[in-house]
Amino acid sequence: MFTRILSLFAIALVCASLAAGGASAKPDRSLSGITVFAGSSMTTVLPKIDPGNTYSFGSSTTLGTQIANGAPADVLMSANTTVPASLFAQGVVEKPVNFTRNTLAIVVPKGNPANIKSIYDLTKPGPKIAVAAVTVPVGSYTVQVLNQMGINSAVQANVVTRETSDANVVAKVALGQVDAGFVYLSDYVIDPTHLSLIKVPAWAQPKITYAMAIVTKSPNQAAAEAWMKKVLSPAGQKVFVDNGFLPLTAAVPTITKVAPSQGKPGATVTLTGTNFTGTIAVTVSGAPATFKFVSPTKLTFTVPKKAKSGSITVVNPSGKATAPFKVG
Amino acid sequence: MSAPITRGQLLSRSAKGGAALLVAGSALGAFVDTAAAALPVGDLAWARLLVGAELLASDFYSSATAAGNTNKTVTSNLKRAYANEQEHYQSVAEIITGAGATPAVSGDIDFNYPDGTFASQHSIVKFAGQLETIILGSYLGAIDGIQTDSLKAGLARIAANEAQHVSYFTAAGGGKAFTLSFPPALTIDQASNALDAFTA
Repeated sequence: MFTRILSLFAIALVCASLAAGGASAKPDRSLSGITVFAGSSMTTVLPKIDPGNTYSFGSSTTLGTQIANGAPADVLMSANTTVPASLFAQGVVEKPVNFTRNTLAIVVPKGNPANIKSIYDLTKPGPKIAVAAVTVPVGSYTVQVLNQMGINSAVQANVVTRETSDANVVAKVALGQVDAGFVYLSDYVIDPTHLSLIKVPAWAQPKITYAMAIVTKSPNQAAAEAWMKKVLSPAGQKVFVDNGFLPLTAAVPTITKVAPSQGKPGATVTLTGTNFTGTIAVTVSGAPATFKFVSPTKLTFTVPKKAKSGSITVVNPSGKATAPFKVG
Repeated sequence: MSAPITRGQLLSRSAKGGAALLVAGSALGAFVDTAAAALPVGDLAWARLLVGAELLASDFYSSATAAGNTNKTVTSNLKRAYANEQEHYQSVAEIITGAGATPAVSGDIDFNYPDGTFASQHSIVKFAGQLETIILGSYLGAIDGIQTDSLKAGLARIAANEAQHVSYFTAAGGGKAFTLSFPPALTIDQASNALDAFTA
């Protein structure tokens, strides 16, 4: 735990240094790859996609200001769309591209000593709450959620600290210095061992979309473009999803294997493919089949009595996949 | 199919009586926008929660229909309930747009259902009855909890329709079509926690 907390403090120190240093932050450009300025919620995920880049993590707002003031970044990766859009309007960056999404969450210390069960418990007197300052995206999203739920005043009355990043909020919660903190869901996924999660209601969630853009004055345009393609690639997107972020759009299922590819009514068939989570129907030439979800990449179904040869269809809320199948 | 209650009708029903329903919503726009803009934050919170509830219900009914595991009669009622929820959504979403805010839309919320929800007709209608009971409780809670009296009659009419859904699907699932003389109203935190069980 101490290693984790020390690393959180290290993140906090970097954030503080960036916030205080403004454009004076000068990453070591002698390292391989490009220089990426990114919101602190991506501290863990980006090096997993490419450890060769030089990363500076901090408040997206602060990083945007630094880039506008000439800081030597190649790419800005922001925890919102507004900072890149503003810089694009000023000609500081190229056209932004959305690359992932996130949700707001509440974390409490493991064991939940204040016995907080829902966001509404934070409206009662007693719990000590950490939030990020409204000048950084996660702080702005927090206020947005609380306003939308009509509980901003009551919750703010329990706020004891306003941090400069989500990483700082996580550190305060992990150390037990506060009873709860508002962060991104991806912050919880990084360290579920020392934190417990309380959901923020979906009906009140803000739209948290991350956008990235190449810095116009970057001397490494080609490498920056390659990095952005890597982030948007299926492999890059998987790393984000594996670390608690949301995909840009829900994925359509695919079928890569049907075993056996022929069967009589009543036979069990195994489908291999992708994105089977959330499957709502399996049909054989239009006849509904009883199915069982095994994993995101595996489904089994029973060939229905009235099935005719033709195709198997797997349906999820985003779309459908088909594959040939012979009955008999 | 009945026309959805517009925001204007929701807001003016009490103030102007039943005749207001005969007036086009746009004709009431100025009055409505003024009234809606002044809605208390607590009322807007209820409206947002109800929008989320309607999106959940619509998502469920469209998924249940797509599953293809129900007979002709149940499928017809699933589609009818879906149409009802769509109209309810339009009405409660207009409360939010009238206040200058943006309501959640389909795709903003990722829903998550218990394993096997769509596996059979029985599992579908049983879940529908449970979901509609929560939604009915949410509307009854909103009627209790909101401060803007002129919204209450419109919300009560939606609640009446939700009660029909509860009755039909509960009976179709093997339960009693009607039981309690006074179905419970949920507080906003109870409604929120209940609905959130079905979000990813």
